[in-house]
Amino acid sequence: MTDTVAIAPDIHLALAIQAEGLGKSFGSRKALDNVSFELPEQAFLSIFGHNGAGKTTLLRVLSTLARPSAGKVEVLGLDVREKPEELRSRIGLISHRSMLYPDLTAEENLLFTARMYGVQNPKARVSELLELVELTARRHDPVRGFSRGMTQRIAIARALVPDPALLFLDEPYSGLDPHAVEILDRLLERLRFGKNLVMISHDLNHGFALATHLLVLAQGKVALFTERDELDVRSFREFYRNSVGAGGI
Amino acid sequence: MAELTIVRPSAFKQFRVLLGKELRQEFRTREMLTSMGIYALLVLVIFGAALSQAAQGFDILQVSGGLIWALIVFTSLLGLNRSFSSEKEEAALEGILLMPMDRSLIFLSKATSNLIFLLLVELISLPLFYFFFLTISSPAPSFWMASLPLLVGSIGIAGVGTLLATITSNARGKDVLLALLFIPIIYPLLHAVVAATTVVVVGGDNLVGTFATSLALAGGYDVVMLALSWFLYEFVISN
Amino acid sequence: MRERTIFDSLAWMALLLGALLSTAGFVLAFTTAPMVKGVDLQVFAQIGGVHVDYQLLFSQKIFYFHMPVAITSFIALLFTAIYSIIFLVKKDPKYDLRARIATEIALVFVLMTMASGMLWERYEWGVWWTWEPRLTTYFILTLMVIAYFILRRALDDPERRATYAAVFGVIAAVNAPISFLITRIIPTRTHPVIFRTDSGLPPDMLLPLLLSMFGILMVAFGIYRFRLREQRLRLQLEDLKAQLED
Repeated sequence: MTDTVAIAPDIHLALAIQAEGLGKSFGSRKALDNVSFELPEQAFLSIFGHNGAGKTTLLRVLSTLARPSAGKVEVLGLDVREKPEELRSRIGLISHRSMLYPDLTAEENLLFTARMYGVQNPKARVSELLELVELTARRHDPVRGFSRGMTQRIAIARALVPDPALLFLDEPYSGLDPHAVEILDRLLERLRFGKNLVMISHDLNHGFALATHLLVLAQGKVALFTERDELDVRSFREFYRNSVGAGGI
Repeated sequence: MAELTIVRPSAFKQFRVLLGKELRQEFRTREMLTSMGIYALLVLVIFGAALSQAAQGFDILQVSGGLIWALIVFTSLLGLNRSFSSEKEEAALEGILLMPMDRSLIFLSKATSNLIFLLLVELISLPLFYFFFLTISSPAPSFWMASLPLLVGSIGIAGVGTLLATITSNARGKDVLLALLFIPIIYPLLHAVVAATTVVVVGGDNLVGTFATSLALAGGYDVVMLALSWFLYEFVISN
Repeated sequence: MRERTIFDSLAWMALLLGALLSTAGFVLAFTTAPMVKGVDLQVFAQIGGVHVDYQLLFSQKIFYFHMPVAITSFIALLFTAIYSIIFLVKKDPKYDLRARIATEIALVFVLMTMASGMLWERYEWGVWWTWEPRLTTYFILTLMVIAYFILRRALDDPERRATYAAVFGVIAAVNAPISFLITRIIPTRTHPVIFRTDSGLPPDMLLPLLLSMFGILMVAFGIYRFRLREQRLRLQLEDLKAQLED
């Protein structure tokens, strides 16, 4: 142990996420139990597991929305317990709920976010993002009238406002029509350069195809953490069926 | 992509942005103000029916302070119940919790916007109350001083109400639950502001003494309860 | 989790001793404690062969029950607040359990206070209810304690339920004295507040009062410990069931 202390800072810099014995429990109920893994920079992590396996709880802990009750977690080299505010300015979250105000327009929603983060030229940044998600024409329409796919694109733009170094995705594909899936796929392809992505996925094939790393949770524990290239999709499916069970996917 | 510079804004700047968001939403839809306004009008109609059999010599001034506060409490409950609906609809509150900021700003901006909406509704409904019930009687010349307890009471209602509305926005059966949590907690404030309002509307000998005592107590309640709400808000908002 | 603590073994003793002490207190209250002088009578009267010009208040005897019960309920609520604060700091569900049980005790004793207070008022003032400061405060207290439990039932997530209940418990506990203070300083117009000015109880009144006071406090403590133990065992049972299912 003493030898590793000296080189520890360098290792930290190269890691996007470092979880050690992470637990989240209330009384005897354990949502997460001794979760440990290390994700290098520039990675795309896909998280799999049944409902109630702890995927969302893990994402909430990593994104500072929930406090861990045990263990140590560093995201982008920042301890989630000690420096949550610093971390918040460097991460983004896209979930299956848009986190938008339906009565405000697309532009107002994004401007609000930009001003809260302290983006210096909010109007320019918002125009740029609207362009990116191809919704410049609808910028002055309230979000309430948008289709599910359009809303999700604005939600993506919203998460990208502070140009986060790490992006969390909580089942971003749920409820999207094929066209919207295509757009989201294209966006993720563009985003993954220079960023870290962590995605909860319900779709084994899709989640496998995008990822560089795989994490399978079962009853709050790590059932598998590996680089994707160690496995092919068939053996991964087989592993998943044998260890976690086929239901739910 | 173009150059992106981010400077962490001051707490006051963030408060202004949050408050601006609340006001913009409300003035776009006017959902809360319209429903509160209509509700206030209907409560006045009910007062009319309730008082319709009162005897000729009945002095409405004696109960007007109480009626005004009954109107305000019921109307404010309606507004408070709605104040978190836009945050919950698409989980926008989570988006705010992900921002680098002092989370008590959420309490401060919500309480401020709730106070503004409540005062706006009072501005419309209280002249109506005067028009319907007080034109035949003669309020004491000191009646304009009622604006002080109105302000102090509304501040307390908005502050404590915002904390309790945050709690009930995550619960089942939230409408009744908010009333059940809110009314006992607000009772002492209500007792004080009703006394202060009544005494200036009725007038009388020990006007200044009762008014000052009641107002001071209401102010004390505000200070203690707002400080407590502010302190406890972090626990309510994060999970 | 420890199986049995020293407090659990004390619970039986506390309950028994408390029952004895409070019974002794009540007996003394009716035998040795003197009657309290009430309002002056308009006419002279012969009571028990004694010529008196004031009313002796037999109804005052309820005071030996009412006051200890009222103080106990206040102390229970104080414990709700203390355990709630500890819970908020430590996030350990065992303090949530303690806060909840303290509030249950508070509910029982608040209801007893209300009932005895109303009985006394009926005989003393001739009405079942007035918006008198102490009675009003206890009414508000009752509502807050009931609201505490309804709030708990309306929340599904255990951690959120515990947190919100703790926050409300703290607010309710702070609100109770404020409520008493405000309703007492600003009197209602319809019912002027009557304060007795006779301070300093004579010893033969003080003894029964202290006896029933300690007695009832011990009973409350005993009930608290039994309820806590019962709830703990229930939780352990549920854990075992859950483990069996896995």
